[in-house]
Amino acid sequence: MRRSVSVAVFITVEILVIAALSTGRQNAALAAQQKTEAAEVKIDNFSFGPATLTVSVGTTVTWTNRDDIPHTVTSADDPKAFKSKVLDTDEKFSFTFTQPGTYPYFCSIHPKMTAKVVVQ
Amino acid sequence: MSEGFLGTSAPLAPDVVLLLEVAMGVALLVGTWLARTKRFRPHAWCQSTIVLLNLVVVAVAMTPSFRAQVLASIPVKLSKSYYALATVHAAFGSIAELAALYILLAAGTRLLPEQLRITRYKAWMRSVVVLWWLVLFLGVATYVRWYVPNFRR
Ligand code: HEM
Ligand SMILES: [Cu+2]
Repeated sequence: MRRSVSVAVFITVEILVIAALSTGRQNAALAAQQKTEAAEVKIDNFSFGPATLTVSVGTTVTWTNRDDIPHTVTSADDPKAFKSKVLDTDEKFSFTFTQPGTYPYFCSIHPKMTAKVVVQ
Repeated sequence: MSEGFLGTSAPLAPDVVLLLEVAMGVALLVGTWLARTKRFRPHAWCQSTIVLLNLVVVAVAMTPSFRAQVLASIPVKLSKSYYALATVHAAFGSIAELAALYILLAAGTRLLPEQLRITRYKAWMRSVVVLWWLVLFLGVATYVRWYVPNFRR
């Protein structure tokens, strides 16, 4: 009798541990799926780098102004898909791309500064 | 916004302003030469036209740009040459334009009351020409800082 109780307890604990482990693993897998991808564009010396950035749908792109003068990130589409305020040194702007397509953009202070994001 | 034509990163407007201002600076010296050769009426026309045309350029291009790009950054970001150059330029530029308008009113019209008229025209006019050229250099420096990529890195 005593023995069967301890076996039962052991099995129960075992099941709980396995269950806990597997749901933990499931959660981790789910989190990995939900976590949006991220990509970076650096602004320096009057240019965007990389000039063409290719990302998958759902990616959040963050632009960082590493230049010592202000710039903007402004969509060249009509209507504009995104538009940052004036970014001073080390300021950032982020945008999440939810639709596939090609997104050309430029700096509204320096119209010759152009680049694009390709979303697949 | 359309691109400029001087091959820098500037849009169209600053390129136009730069050319206009350099041309006006040179014309101001031509006007000075007119005075030295005693052609006072052409001198008056030449300098008045420049001062009034410059007033238009300041009102239409430079003041809006100053308000949009510089004003909000004073005084916090004045340690950066980008804002400092434009601010010093704008301050001296305002003084130069106001002094020039004052000379126009004093020398070319009877609008000012007796006490405000100028007697030492030469000193006033020479000072303004010197100040004007200082402002022009500061304007060119602002243009270079704002629109010419640097090759340091
Ligand atoms: C004698 C009077 C002036 C002269 C000869 C002069 C000349 C110039 C020149 C050659 C430039 C470079 C072109 C450019 O970047 O657009 C410039 C830019 C500029 N000036 Fe003046 N300026 C004068 C007065 C003023 C005044 C009164 C202000 C203040 C409101 C001012 C504010 C600016 C600003 C903010 C810029 C940069 C504009 C931009 O590029 O967007 N200037 N100036
Ligand atoms: Cu820019």
